[in-house]
Amino acid sequence: MKYQYFFRYIFYFFFIFYSNSALSIDSLNDKVKKLTLELRCMTCQNQSVYDSDSDFAKDITTLVEDKFKEGLSEKEIKVFLTKRYGEYILFRPYFNIKNLLLWLFPFILLILSLGFFIKGLKKY
Amino acid sequence: MISLIGFSSLCLSTFFSILFLIPNSIFKINIKFFLLFFRFSTILICISFSSLITAYIKSDFSNFNVFQNSHSEKPLIYKIAGAWGNHEGSILLWLCMISIYGFLYSLMSKSLDDFKINVLKIQSSIFLIFAFFIIFTSNPFLINSVEVNEGLGLNPILQDPALAIHPPMLYLGYVGFSLVFSLGIASLLSKNDDKNWLIETKRWSIISWTFLTAGIALGSYWAYYELGWGGWWFWDPVENISLMPWIVGLALVHSLLMTRGEQAIERWIIFLSILCFSLSILGTFLVRSGILTSVHSFASDASRGLFILLIFFLTTGFGLLVFLVKSPIKKNHLNLLLINKTSALIINNILMIIAMLTILLGTIYPIIIEVLTNTRISVGGPYFNSTVLPVLLPGFLLMSIAPVLSWQSNKIKKFRVYVVFFLFLSFLALIHSYFTVFNTWGFLGLILGSWIILASIISIILRFKFLISLNYIKSINSFIAHIGVGLMILGITFSSIYQKEYSFNISVGEEININNNILKLENIKVVENKNYQSLMAVFSLRKKGELIDYILPGKNYYPVSKMITTEAGIYHDWLKDIYITLGNEEDSTWNIKIYLNPLVSFIWIGVCIMIFSGFIAIFKK
Repeated sequence: MKYQYFFRYIFYFFFIFYSNSALSIDSLNDKVKKLTLELRCMTCQNQSVYDSDSDFAKDITTLVEDKFKEGLSEKEIKVFLTKRYGEYILFRPYFNIKNLLLWLFPFILLILSLGFFIKGLKKY
Repeated sequence: MISLIGFSSLCLSTFFSILFLIPNSIFKINIKFFLLFFRFSTILICISFSSLITAYIKSDFSNFNVFQNSHSEKPLIYKIAGAWGNHEGSILLWLCMISIYGFLYSLMSKSLDDFKINVLKIQSSIFLIFAFFIIFTSNPFLINSVEVNEGLGLNPILQDPALAIHPPMLYLGYVGFSLVFSLGIASLLSKNDDKNWLIETKRWSIISWTFLTAGIALGSYWAYYELGWGGWWFWDPVENISLMPWIVGLALVHSLLMTRGEQAIERWIIFLSILCFSLSILGTFLVRSGILTSVHSFASDASRGLFILLIFFLTTGFGLLVFLVKSPIKKNHLNLLLINKTSALIINNILMIIAMLTILLGTIYPIIIEVLTNTRISVGGPYFNSTVLPVLLPGFLLMSIAPVLSWQSNKIKKFRVYVVFFLFLSFLALIHSYFTVFNTWGFLGLILGSWIILASIISIILRFKFLISLNYIKSINSFIAHIGVGLMILGITFSSIYQKEYSFNISVGEEININNNILKLENIKVVENKNYQSLMAVFSLRKKGELIDYILPGKNYYPVSKMITTEAGIYHDWLKDIYITLGNEEDSTWNIKIYLNPLVSFIWIGVCIMIFSGFIAIFKK
């Protein structure tokens, strides 16, 4: 049963680094970049606000910067923006009842198929 | 005149295809005649497509399609490419390829006559459906009602060498799966227990998958330098659509390589073959009906969308029906152990299918929501990154060890060697992340990519028998492909996570220093070309005082269609790309964006290796 140690080792590894990344603190620029990457430039074709050069994107970027400076959190800015422009502006849809299927689907499938796989294993 | 030839040969070829569908009980055709007619029909459809190309080359504006999509002052290559740069022409190309695949199959197949005829019959019914689609909704041979001397021109964004050959490559992939589909259905219908179809399915699915890989890679390479957004994959709906058959094709190829006569896997293979082609058609529907917003815009038309939806339900429904009714019921159990090759294969297939379904759901979810609740939402890159990648991660981990697992037992061959190397590698990765900015995804990508490469290299070395022959290369082919994937993972990780971006406003003569690379804006010039004007900024790249290269970002203006395209200037290096896009001018200073993309070349090298090993695998028995 050597491989058990092998997998346990890998698991520990990932666990440590996941917990590590949650603690990191971002600067204002990083925060703006992170958020604007998730916003759709409404006047472009499938481009994020961050990547775009259009006037709309510039306005939104300054708006986001100002809101961050006012002390709003990322979540509050998103709420503000969706009130103004609709949920269409978010590239990462909200996790709510409407989008429940969207978010849970892959993971439910994963768990289900894992269950079937274990059931199919030969007993030895 | 040319249009007339094209249209009549299209109709004749369609007529022949109808003849093939007469059931044997009414009129039995001799196999020789059958093949003769089939090949004749292929030649006819090729004539039809070449007459469209001829119309484009000669700029025959009496053809409405040529008038809408061509211009007499285009370079020759884009005149030819114009033939498939629009909806009607590209569907004709698609149709032509369906027939050509059947033609090649009829030449190369060593199956029994009955089986061969069945495959070709299914192939020609697919042909027939698409031929009706062309004749009734998207005929490229319509005559222009007014007499004109000049056309409207091809979309300038398509006037690019990579994009000129991107559609044919992609279609060779998509359409190749039609033959795989036919093989799968024919094997269900066949009465004897001949296993030759597995070998043939393997060959044709590898061919299609390889072409599809090349097509997608060309498209994303184009997006990299033409769109000027600094990246090469944007989770655009159309990109997602091409990715779905690719993933399923990959699952199919793996299942085919692994099958050892288990009935369950054979059923699974047939299911995947049906799925692959259905997804190809579904993709066509989503793109051509215009219900998705994307970079790829085609003139859309509701009737076309409806027709393709009909084709989709017809083929998928037919395929699944035959699958349900005819599939073998007899069951012999799979040799599933906790960790052997069969279970690795099954996990890999499951993960790929889940990834595919996630991409499918994410792509069509906005449509579903809009229909149900009348609100518009977008599902973009962040969603796919946080759902598809975690699903695929365990698959990548498995990929590095799967080739050394055994079929029958739970043991891993040469287990210790691998563990020692893995420990060593993670130690190196730790050191690397200690000295650079730590990033979880970066770390994962780095360790996975290099681990896959290392494990594959160890496996290759362990198999080395002091003799490099073609057989040896064939036996290590899967490892070579996996090295390609590993390189690609490294390239993707580094270029997306460690990408650096700078924005400057500079005037002519100014210098910028980025990591000891000195970029100087030498001058701005305007160049007149045959069908466009281009505005170019000339940057010289110096390192330690030595001139290395010139980088020429710019913008092209196409007067015919009054459009401006951005052209990124890229300096390629093995380890990094310096990528510059030119913005607007303000008070004689120019706004430029510079991206340092590390290890982008690894992505393209990795893809080339995958394509190479695809070609090797075609010849593998």
